[in-house]
Parts: sequence; C-alpha cells; structure tokens
Amino acid sequence: MGLNDVLFVVLAFSALASAVAVVMTRNTVHAALHFVGHLLCLAGIYSLLHAPLLGVLQVMVYAGAVMVLFLFAVMILDMGEQEHQAVAASKKQLAGAVLVALLLAAGLAALVQHGFGGALAPAGDPAVDLTNDNIAAVARVLFRDYALAFEAVGLLLLTAVVAVMVMAKRKLES
Amino acid sequence: MPTVEISLVLAAAVFCVGACGVLLRRDPLVMFICIEMMFNAANLAFVALSDRLKSVQGQTLVFLVIAVAAAEVAVGLSIIIAIFRTEKDVNVDHLSELKG
Repeated sequence: MGLNDVLFVVLAFSALASAVAVVMTRNTVHAALHFVGHLLCLAGIYSLLHAPLLGVLQVMVYAGAVMVLFLFAVMILDMGEQEHQAVAASKKQLAGAVLVALLLAAGLAALVQHGFGGALAPAGDPAVDLTNDNIAAVARVLFRDYALAFEAVGLLLLTAVVAVMVMAKRKLES
Repeated sequence: MPTVEISLVLAAAVFCVGACGVLLRRDPLVMFICIEMMFNAANLAFVALSDRLKSVQGQTLVFLVIAVAAAEVAVGLSIIIAIFRTEKDVNVDHLSELKG
C-alpha cells in the first residue's frame, strides 16, 4: 500500500465520520463545521481520484462560499435556542429513518455483490492520466459539448441572485 | 487498491446518512446541510466513475452540479430566513400553512 492509498483510506473514513457527526450533533454551528470537514475530506478524495480542479473548486465554492452563507444564516436565525430539540422528534420519524437506512444498505449490499451491475466493466484506457492538463481537458468538454448547459447554469445563477434580492427587499406581512 | 469501488460505496453510505439526516432532524438548516451532503455523494460517484472510465465528462458534470447547488443554497437560505422573519419559529413541524 502506497502513501496515496493510506491517505485515501484515512480521508474516506473521516469523510464518513464527519457526515455522521453532522447528523448526530445537536448544535447547528457544530453541524456546519463538521460539514466543512466533510467537504475538505471530499476535496482530498477528488484530488486522489485525478480531479485536482474539482478539489480546488470544492474548497473554494463549497467549503468557502456556501458554508460562509450557512454560518451567516445560523447567525441571523439565532439557532442557539433551538439546540435542545434537534434530533428525532417522534418514534414514527425514527422508525422511518431506520427503515430508509436499512433499505438503502440492502440495495448497496446487493449492488456490491453483483459487481455494480457491470457498470464498471469497461475500464478506460489505463495509459490516460486525467491529472495531466486537467483544467484544459475539463474546459474543452465544458465549452464544447456542454456549452448550452454552461450558459443555462449562468442564467440560473443570475436568476437566483435576482430572486434572493427581491425576497430580501420585500416587506413581509405575517 | 480498488479506490473507485471504495469511493462508490462511500458515496452510497454518505447519501444514506444525508437521507436519514433529512428525516431525523427538525432544524431546517441542518436538513439543508444534509441535502447538500446528498449532492456531494452524487458528485463523488461522478468523479469516481470519471476516474474509472478515464474521461473528464463526469468532472464537467460535477462542475455544473456545484454551480446549481450554489444557486439552490442562495434561494433556499433566503426562503428559510423569510419564513423566520414572519414566523419567529424554525421548527419544520410547526410550518403547516400549505396543508391543503
């Protein structure tokens, strides 16, 4: 096992552990900070899976911008008072969650047992190194094959910004 | 070492954790974080398979997903804050105005 493999296993375990911590902790700020840890672990995993551009984007957009927005929202909503009533309101909800977890785990076990349904069979050319010139390769696909989707996403972001400004300006009557 | 298979199993496990979080937690912000967690599980599956197939198509799609998720977070948080401004209460069980 090389250094990369050890790093990968450590990152995978801490990603899963911090994901569980997000759900289990009762404090909203702690949940947000655990989620930042989860995102950083995923960024490391992306880099190990030959996607360095996405690793950097994950840190900048998710762990940076999105989580700062979340923490601002926590500050505005003053979640400190809500800490005590965080987890599992009723037995019915708990039963539902356990059922979902069991169903998904069963599906996952079946998937692993059948070798991911052959989806993994056609492995790509092992000589290709995705890390090599990664940004240029992603940009080539993005601006050639997915140019329309890229423009649509830009329009979506603009619409979201305008919508948020309208919602923030409007006087709300209860 | 089968990093791609481990990544796919990790993605499925994180997705399960996120789904359970949405079901178990009553705090809209934490539910929102759990939705983001499910987005990230899907992204991880994309990146893992992109590594397996030696194609950057999956990475390109993850780029688009991140942009859509950022827009979704902006709108979602502004809705949660707008609800809080009128209701002064952020327990999702108490928000039942839309019940038919």
